[in-house]
Amino acid sequence: MKPIRRVLCCLSLALAAAGAAGADEPTVLTMPRYAQFDTLDPVQTFSALSDQLLQSVYSTLLNYAYLERPYKMEPGLLASMPTLSADRLTLTFKLRAGVRFTDNPCFPGGKGRVVTSDDVLYSIKRFADGRLNDKTWWAMKDAVQGLDAYHAATLKAAPGVDLTGSDVAGLRKVDATTFTIRLTHDNPLFLYALAMTATSIVPSEAVRFYKDRFGLNPVGTGPFHAEKELDRKGVIRLLKNPDYYGVYPSVGEPGDAARGLLKDAGKRLPLVDVLELPLIEENQPAALKFLRGEIDWRFLDRANFAKLIRRAPDGSFAVADEYAGRFGISYTTAPGIVYVALNMKDPILGGNKALRQALAAAIDVQAEIDVLLNGRGRKLDSIVPYEMPGNERDTGAPPHRKDLALAKKLMADAGYPGGAGLPPLTMSFYLADSDTRNMFDLLRAQFAAIGVQLNGSFQDVPAFLKATGAGNFQLAYYDWTADYPDAEDFYQLLYSRNVTPGPNMGAYANAAYDRAYEASRLMADGPARYAYFKTMNALIEDDAPLIGVFDPLRFGIFQKWVGNFKRNPLAIENNYLRIDPVAKRKGMQ
Amino acid sequence: MGAYVVRRLLQAIPTVFGVALLTFLLFNAFGPDPVRTALGNHATAEAIANLRHQWGLDQSLPLQFVDFLRQIVTFDYGRSYVTGDDLGTQLKSGALVSLSVTVPPFVFGAIVNVSIALFITRHRDGIVDRAARALFIGAMSVSALVYVLALQYLLAFKLDWFPINGYESGWAAVKYLALPWLIQLLLLMGPDIRLYRTLFLADIDADWVRTARSKGAGEGRVLFRHVLPNAWIPIITQNVTTIPFLILGSFLMERFFSIPGIGNLTIDALSRGDLPVLKAVTVLGALALVLFNLVNDLLYAVADPRVRLS
Repeated sequence: MKPIRRVLCCLSLALAAAGAAGADEPTVLTMPRYAQFDTLDPVQTFSALSDQLLQSVYSTLLNYAYLERPYKMEPGLLASMPTLSADRLTLTFKLRAGVRFTDNPCFPGGKGRVVTSDDVLYSIKRFADGRLNDKTWWAMKDAVQGLDAYHAATLKAAPGVDLTGSDVAGLRKVDATTFTIRLTHDNPLFLYALAMTATSIVPSEAVRFYKDRFGLNPVGTGPFHAEKELDRKGVIRLLKNPDYYGVYPSVGEPGDAARGLLKDAGKRLPLVDVLELPLIEENQPAALKFLRGEIDWRFLDRANFAKLIRRAPDGSFAVADEYAGRFGISYTTAPGIVYVALNMKDPILGGNKALRQALAAAIDVQAEIDVLLNGRGRKLDSIVPYEMPGNERDTGAPPHRKDLALAKKLMADAGYPGGAGLPPLTMSFYLADSDTRNMFDLLRAQFAAIGVQLNGSFQDVPAFLKATGAGNFQLAYYDWTADYPDAEDFYQLLYSRNVTPGPNMGAYANAAYDRAYEASRLMADGPARYAYFKTMNALIEDDAPLIGVFDPLRFGIFQKWVGNFKRNPLAIENNYLRIDPVAKRKGMQ
Repeated sequence: MGAYVVRRLLQAIPTVFGVALLTFLLFNAFGPDPVRTALGNHATAEAIANLRHQWGLDQSLPLQFVDFLRQIVTFDYGRSYVTGDDLGTQLKSGALVSLSVTVPPFVFGAIVNVSIALFITRHRDGIVDRAARALFIGAMSVSALVYVLALQYLLAFKLDWFPINGYESGWAAVKYLALPWLIQLLLLMGPDIRLYRTLFLADIDADWVRTARSKGAGEGRVLFRHVLPNAWIPIITQNVTTIPFLILGSFLMERFFSIPGIGNLTIDALSRGDLPVLKAVTVLGALALVLFNLVNDLLYAVADPRVRLS
């Protein structure tokens, strides 16, 4: 063999060896976190940021199908959908057999054990503990026999005293994998609560073992698990749970198969070995890392959206030609809304309807969408997203548009002609990045046009949630993603019994609204229900407790080596994604 | 020297006590009620009482102050009001990370900047001096944020010389810290070199310098043996009094490069109104200032034989 051939031969052997070594390397899915999470104790958190992580480490009894639309619930930890008794009050649940909590030092010998009915009942009681959960308790309030009494008892109990051993009439264990829940009334919304991450199933051993560090040491049955305590400020690395029960869906929307979204149908999840979630709070480094291929998918900020995405004449979006071969996008009308909440307990805003109406008339929502969001959204006249049953097309709603002349007249009616005598108002934001500050600048300019001076309070997610949850704000720029795909989840934002720390953080209270809400709450979608929605829409327009409402488009941009990507705000994509390691290695070179 | 150090340390006690008292009064007596802030205006009296007890705010102000003094002495600052995290652990790890971000460019910058300033002084009023002055004034006019954005884009993304951002502990941190170090070095250059040049020029025509020249000393020897030693005192003052701020980190670097230092912790605490963190950082900063003022004085004696510590 000639020397040059020998060298080539050695080189190819070395490359083959490297390739073989590469095949054994774990596949890593990297997605940046844009802000710190507050806690991963399911019952103590209520933010999209925590939700994303919770869905990766915990399981709920029910969850949403990844590909199907409209959003559809399917069994999570359950073997099948629960059955309802003839009187429509007793639900019977059967757990999947043999699902195990991941290995963790909290268990004897560090070995995770099988999930039983006891764990579910324990988790529901923990959810109902008023000392722990003041944020999402509304989802089961008045719903389960005996649970409200249990909730009241926990509020009276001393901190740290465990009442989960108490009997709750509506929660019954039948055997190790079967249990029943007895409802107080026929309630078609109840099952939605069991798909909320707040009702994730947790082992009591972990709660006792980690105590106040439980929020950083999740122990669940989800597709991934944490090897060590999570660092809010650093990189979170979650490892594949080899015992995870979930499989990739076999059913999707029309067109999903053509888009290659069903290639992995029936495969065991997750499809990657490691989920890496670094904290990158600034847009530039996140964008550069994405362009470099170090990040597999991310949301899009305004500046990078303009660079990477183009809008077709028909209004649809596509990757800009320059990047068409490298990236893909997926977007959806979110089951969610963005709005400005007004605190009705605020001494300036609360008692002055004309002032609130003036602020509402001064906001130009379309300008926010066009100028700052690159057209990613739709202005709403009601508070229900445009694609959800019960939206403004179904119900009718007073059309809302910017009207400066009206806003100025209302300012005079409010006792502040031209803004004279009105102290500066403060709006709270949950981020401090450049996009948020741009949004503040736009709103400040719009309010300044009617003489209102606006200050910004830029916080991080934990601080914002704490402040708004406590009612400590004047105006708050809020983003609400549905807990479940029903219009009720939006109208309950203004129900007076849901005041802070519930989701009615502005403490809006109107008896007529409450009556319409209560009447419509459990009705099936249809004209009768929509008539109540119309009543509530008119009251919202008149009282202006929420203003500047729009329906945002949720975007994700991903590398070409990422498979199965489809935006789904109710089922975190990370659990379903596939990485082509060879293409990724090539793409990063 | 030993007696001087002991005396200065004893003198520091009332200073620290004063700082502690002032900090305590600012946050506890005059600031907003943290319990009200946390629970809001609609909280029940029972919930307010429970949290007040949990945070030790149901005690009298003097007792709370005594507890604060205990925290200072034991370095046990309790827990964050927002995250519930132990502050001792957070401050310790955060301070070490922050120091790893700020100390290397500070030390290296001091050496490089003094050397460049000497070089420019040697070529004073020449083309090198004029060009350097114009360059540094221009460099000082640009916001630090522009340096971060531009160099992160150019050196990390376009040229791939550094990681774009990230952090790992131990020696692996070096590759992530290299670019923040370089940026800080560049940021320090303008103001430091201009200051040092001014200090050197103040002595460049002094009697002893002219005497040295008349005895035939070369310009290099004049600068190193006769000008530089006389500028040591203000250079030391400039550098040593900066050290306490190094512990508090560089928010900009930590934020853009995702480095979990104390700068980020402080800014987070400010936006969250997290009083325990703010109190701890304030006191730690004051302690560092007191300590490094002492170091400053000790170094004076080393730099200038005329200074006697007694």
